[in-house]
Amino acid sequence: MSAVDDISFEVKRGEIFGLLGPNGAGKSTLIRILTTLITPSSGAAFIDNFEVSSSPEQIRGLIGVCPQNSTLDQELTAYENLEFYGRLQNMDDRVLKPRIWQLLEMTGLQNRARSPVSTFSGGMRRKLEIVRAFIHKPDILFLDEPTIGLDPESRREVWQQIERLNIEETTIILTTHYMDEAERLCNRIAFVDQGRLIALDTMENLRRSFPVGDLIEIGVAEIAEDLLARIREIPLVGSVDVRGQRLRIVTRKAGTVLPGILQILEESSIPMISIAIRSPSLEDIFIYLTGQIPASEPGVTVTGEGGRQGS
Amino acid sequence: MKSTLLRGAFAIFKRDFQKFLNNPFMILMTLFMPIMYLIIFGSAVGGSISHIPIGVVQDEPYLVETPLFLSAVQGLSDMQQKDSPPTFEVTVFTDEAMARRAVSDGRVMAAIIFPSSISVDHTIRLYIDSSEYTIPALILAGVNSVMARNGAFFPVQVTKIYGDVGYLQFFGVGVIVMAIFMTTMMGGGMALIRDREMGIVEGYLVTPVKRSSILLGIIASGTIKGFLAGLIILLVDLFVAGIVIDSAVNFLLILAVIFIISIGLTSLVVAFASRFANQQIFASSVAFLNLILFMTSGAFYPTLGMPDWLRWITVINPESYGVHALRSLILRGQGLNLIGVDLLALIIFSAFAISIGIATFRRTLD
Repeated sequence: MSAVDDISFEVKRGEIFGLLGPNGAGKSTLIRILTTLITPSSGAAFIDNFEVSSSPEQIRGLIGVCPQNSTLDQELTAYENLEFYGRLQNMDDRVLKPRIWQLLEMTGLQNRARSPVSTFSGGMRRKLEIVRAFIHKPDILFLDEPTIGLDPESRREVWQQIERLNIEETTIILTTHYMDEAERLCNRIAFVDQGRLIALDTMENLRRSFPVGDLIEIGVAEIAEDLLARIREIPLVGSVDVRGQRLRIVTRKAGTVLPGILQILEESSIPMISIAIRSPSLEDIFIYLTGQIPASEPGVTVTGEGGRQGS
Repeated sequence: MKSTLLRGAFAIFKRDFQKFLNNPFMILMTLFMPIMYLIIFGSAVGGSISHIPIGVVQDEPYLVETPLFLSAVQGLSDMQQKDSPPTFEVTVFTDEAMARRAVSDGRVMAAIIFPSSISVDHTIRLYIDSSEYTIPALILAGVNSVMARNGAFFPVQVTKIYGDVGYLQFFGVGVIVMAIFMTTMMGGGMALIRDREMGIVEGYLVTPVKRSSILLGIIASGTIKGFLAGLIILLVDLFVAGIVIDSAVNFLLILAVIFIISIGLTSLVVAFASRFANQQIFASSVAFLNLILFMTSGAFYPTLGMPDWLRWITVINPESYGVHALRSLILRGQGLNLIGVDLLALIIFSAFAISIGIATFRRTLD
């Protein structure tokens, strides 16, 4: 049994690299290998010319790790937690002190520096833990599910925190199963499922590889069958159908085909209630790639008249 | 109303009880512990004390042994406890000085000096090791009954060579060792398991900190905590129980013994905490260990009163060497020469405990 099988990729210096996949996909195993917690049974992983299984000690000096479950000491204060971790990182006390205050300021926790972590909210703890992993200015920062279990407001704050850290030219590798998080933060995204790498690319390229392409939705009161046929004849238009009072057109390039469609509708004096163009979300791509949820077409809204095909 | 109350109660009862049934170790421990308490506590404390080593000597030994002396020696040797082991093990000395040295060296519990001639102004002198609990009274009772049986109602002059030692002082010394054990178990072991459960120990492993530094830090902190606990009880003994320490050298030796016990017990607890992932199982195992070690250490009751099988545990019990060493230093004011064996045993134990502590803790890091 292998949790991770035949995965190979490179992470560029200074990028935010996202590892995406459902629970149990092998993301955490991958992180544990890269952070020297487990030795791979075969294969090699390099961090800045050091191999994980042959020189783990050098690697430990280069990385910062923020694990999935909080490992802050609840009884210690925010300051003490950072101080303790800085000492584990063998930092000089003269460097450590100003660094701690800098990080506390960065997280907006400077007023809570002397309060025990047990009095902090989930978001505050998470931010503290992320900057703790960053205290020694590591070359690579590993964030395992950084916003799991946080409310939307705290998530946004944590994201801002991560972006700020990335400005300091740190490479960040994060795992997540939140699509919006990966879309928002990551330069490149690797999809992992059942221990295998399914896709690895930038967000834009992943979208392009999605066979469905863009989706145009036009709200109409009524539309005749012959008009649909005319729309289908437009180059680059994929499928066309009507659901309820909604005309749905799947196309490779929404911007190019939209004027032609609008022209046809205007010529027939069909009133349009709304027009919407949607890119497939990462979630759509994720579902398509992992086959986790039966691939339903994106953006289906079931209305009262739903299920009745075009009249 | 009533049925919702019961339904809720039943749900909670069922969950709790199911968890209990699913944990065979806890079932075993809950049944086993009281039984073990009964056996060990019952055997260790309140047993009839036997084989008490005593020395007898006749004043002015150049004279022939008087009939009284001979019959007293016979009488003491024949004295038996209910279940027939001899109460005393009598050694006949030829010279009073030797007999008294044997007492102060701890080889015999008392020296009885019989007068050579029968006369009212000649008293029987009894030099008695007063640092043990109940034994002095047993010896005195033994001497009195032997004399009464011989019809010789001589006055007995008792010299308690360590002064009056009450049970508080006797027990207080043992409590030092228990305080160390409790502190390392509660503070060190439980915290270590909790840290491991929370992934804090794993968090160490992704930092450049050396694995040996982690272990060294844990053992050092446990040792200091144990040492402080022992020291506080020592101070309580000094100021509350009224114990006097003779010399600065002895005070330093006491601190050294407390330190060695602390480091050994801490390492042992680290080894246990590394073996058990579950706090409950750890706690009950260590409580059981505490029971065995403390009960057979002689802290509560003289080891002479224990049955043979328990006395064997005493031989391999590091706490009994600790208690003996501390008692020798604190209550008897004896020096390094008399606690050499204890120190050696404690050092061997600590070295052994440290090595198994290292071995088992390392395994949890891989």
